Amino acid sequence: MNTIFALWIRGLKAFARNKISLIFSLIFPFFFVYVFGAIFRNDAIENPIAYMLSGVIITTVFESSLNLASSTVDDMVSGFMKEVLVSPARRITVAIGQILSAATVATVQGILILILGMFIGIKFTKWTTPVLVLVSMICVGLVFSGVGLFLATMVRSGQTFQIVKTAITMPLTFISGAYIPLSLLPDSLRTVAYFNPMTYATAFFRMIVLEKTHLLPEELVREGLAIEINGFIVTPVMSFIIICLIGLFFLILATRSFVKTDFSKLNRSSTDASALWG
Amino acid sequence: MSNIIEVSHFTKSYGDFTAVNDISFEVEEGTIFAFLGPNGAGKSTTINTLCTIFEKSSGELKIAGYDVSTQKAEVRSSIGVVFQEATLDAKMTIEENLKMHCVFYHVPKHEVEERIHFVLNLVDLLAERRKLVGALSGGMKRRVEIARGLIHYPTVLFLDEPTTGLDPHTRAHIWEYIVKLQKERNITIFLTTHYMEEAEICDKIAIIDGGKIVAHDTPYVLKKKYTKDRAYITTKQPEALEQLLQQYNLNYERKDGYTRVEAEDISHLLQVLSLHKDAITDIEIRKGTFNDVFLEITGRKIREEE
Repeated sequence: MNTIFALWIRGLKAFARNKISLIFSLIFPFFFVYVFGAIFRNDAIENPIAYMLSGVIITTVFESSLNLASSTVDDMVSGFMKEVLVSPARRITVAIGQILSAATVATVQGILILILGMFIGIKFTKWTTPVLVLVSMICVGLVFSGVGLFLATMVRSGQTFQIVKTAITMPLTFISGAYIPLSLLPDSLRTVAYFNPMTYATAFFRMIVLEKTHLLPEELVREGLAIEINGFIVTPVMSFIIICLIGLFFLILATRSFVKTDFSKLNRSSTDASALWG
Repeated sequence: MSNIIEVSHFTKSYGDFTAVNDISFEVEEGTIFAFLGPNGAGKSTTINTLCTIFEKSSGELKIAGYDVSTQKAEVRSSIGVVFQEATLDAKMTIEENLKMHCVFYHVPKHEVEERIHFVLNLVDLLAERRKLVGALSGGMKRRVEIARGLIHYPTVLFLDEPTTGLDPHTRAHIWEYIVKLQKERNITIFLTTHYMEEAEICDKIAIIDGGKIVAHDTPYVLKKKYTKDRAYITTKQPEALEQLLQQYNLNYERKDGYTRVEAEDISHLLQVLSLHKDAITDIEIRKGTFNDVFLEITGRKIREEE
């Protein structure tokens, strides 16, 4: 329990200390809102800024939590993970601590953008909305922290990792409907989007932020808040369940993988084999 | 005294490469034990396996009676480790690093502050406790690591090249309290080094080369066995000295300006030299060093570049 808490605090401190990355993580979303909002003007959407922002917020939560992969790899390369793993702290508590801390940081970032968004177009009229928003941000944060930790345990070299990470995040964000409405995507890409968990996360989150929970499935599809696959409508609630299931799957997978991984095999720098073989 | 570390027939291979080849040794409780050898000899592999980081290929390794492969948690609680490479959290302060470590090792909360004070005082870093680790010099980081390795009062402390890259003053200081600690808290210290002079402080030494233990004994015995003391004599009459040495069957070598004599028996040598004492202007007796021991056993110097 203490280990979990200590790692959680550590993650938050590291986040708060890295001011530059914090500032940029707040600027970028608005840059995207501006650019994509201008390009994809769509008359069917009544509040385009809120529409875009909700997508951007959930994407930020997604990217930030997935960053756990990078920071865990950093910890391996810097050696800190070695200190953790040689200690009697149970690995599962280390995994949980890391996931909770990444999910919290991601949620905090989401909240910060949301607060800024309140000034330019997002409005909540129901008291339940902020609660639901928070809950879904935490869920998405947990899900993708799990994915991130899983990725980190799969890594065998620190250098190639960044490339792999970008290769995974870019398509997941751009083919999710967060920036570009799914209806504007070509058919082939739209099919890909159906397999993207972020598609469902975005649709669900957007419905909550725009306070459209009362709409019928058909109306949601028209507003781009529910996904229709060959006549079958995936409602936001179903989306949420899909996300949670994927999340649960990865959380278990990541924790197992983290507990089992033999970190001694990690090649901390590919040129320095002696460090590994001593 | 009982053995706190017991290793028998330990082998570790990486694919075709055998880093450690069937080694066995014991370490007595409360002693300082050194693993001596060149880079790549298998020192770190052994330490890493004892510390539960690497999996052995075969053999049996026990610390405080716990098996390092099947009782990892117990082993981890009993040991402190200072690795060769940095394992600090650079984004946090010294104090935060130590506190984190205390959490991992279940140090009682009310003792944490006192222990931080104690270990930081030992390594002279009390004033820097709130500095970010990333901003410290290499030597300071090493000191933080050593402080951290001690803060949970381990039964066995592993030090993998603890003083590499430190200035002589810091090295001496660190040794001073390694010895003090071992005496005060009866900690067993297991270290690897390639500084020969550091090996002399230890109770037992195992010399490892090419994955094999080639010698294992006290520094005294090893030196006795593998080194010779030498006298370096400057004299006004080198020819006369040469004659004398030949007469008494002593091994010597005439160098430019001095004569080097091997002295297995110092008192005998001094007796011989007393016959020549009026001509001697300078005499220096050098004890055998661990560099000689290593050279004698393996046929090469511990660090070829030196």
